[in-house]
Amino acid sequence: MSYTFTVDFDPERPDLTDDTDTQNEIFLQVFNSGDGELFNRLYLDDSISNFSGEPLTGEARLAFFKEFLAVKPRLKATVTHSYVAGDVALIGVDYSIDTTGPDGSPVHLAGQCTDVLRRGADGRWLMAIDRPVAATGLVAE
Amino acid sequence: MSQLTDNVEKHTALYVEAFNAGDFATVESFYTEDAVAVWEPGKALSGDARRAYQREFLKSGPKMTAVPRHTFVTGDTALLIVDWTIDTVDADGKPEHLKGVGVDVLRLGEDKVWRYAIDDPFGEG
Repeated sequence: MSYTFTVDFDPERPDLTDDTDTQNEIFLQVFNSGDGELFNRLYLDDSISNFSGEPLTGEARLAFFKEFLAVKPRLKATVTHSYVAGDVALIGVDYSIDTTGPDGSPVHLAGQCTDVLRRGADGRWLMAIDRPVAATGLVAE
Repeated sequence: MSQLTDNVEKHTALYVEAFNAGDFATVESFYTEDAVAVWEPGKALSGDARRAYQREFLKSGPKMTAVPRHTFVTGDTALLIVDWTIDTVDADGKPEHLKGVGVDVLRLGEDKVWRYAIDDPFGEG
């Protein structure tokens, strides 16, 4: 793997933790690694991602992540709010993504994203639902 | 407890019914024990503070409408994006019209009913 992670996490069994800054840092670095399969491990099997503009889960979600991250888009995200209630958490972030369109031209995406995280039976916190709302660009509805 | 549902599509409508009846105990039964509510932006309440705020808010007989715009359900966790309005009175007793786009996180309990874990009425503004 060519990407160098500066955040401490286990790529085989990632845990987003209940710490907001750690969550954001792992999410950013794994996204920016360009490894769609690894990024998919931040989600539970039946988690719902709306990154593509429609709710995807399972294999369809994995396939989208692989394709979307293959061109190594660059994600920046700032947490705006975070609430934890037992084994579920709601996070809000302002995001921007610089990526490359099908014709090779630069594409800038930006907006707000709502993330729901769940702590599983094994104690790991993972993404359950993401829902970006784009102010600029195509990702989201 | 009879108002609670295992059908997440019905959850919001049943909550509105309980809210508009002004019945604190029934409204409270729609929340998990450790639920977090953010009824004032940036001010998260849980436990007794949340319950006290809810009890006080219901006293003036506020009336709510709420319609889910999007519902995402995965296993025992759901995210609802809800268009809502509340007609209530302000501190001086004057009519006050509130509205927003709420972000609700629900959990399916072991008793197979959905409850609010996080209630963020101004979550998407």
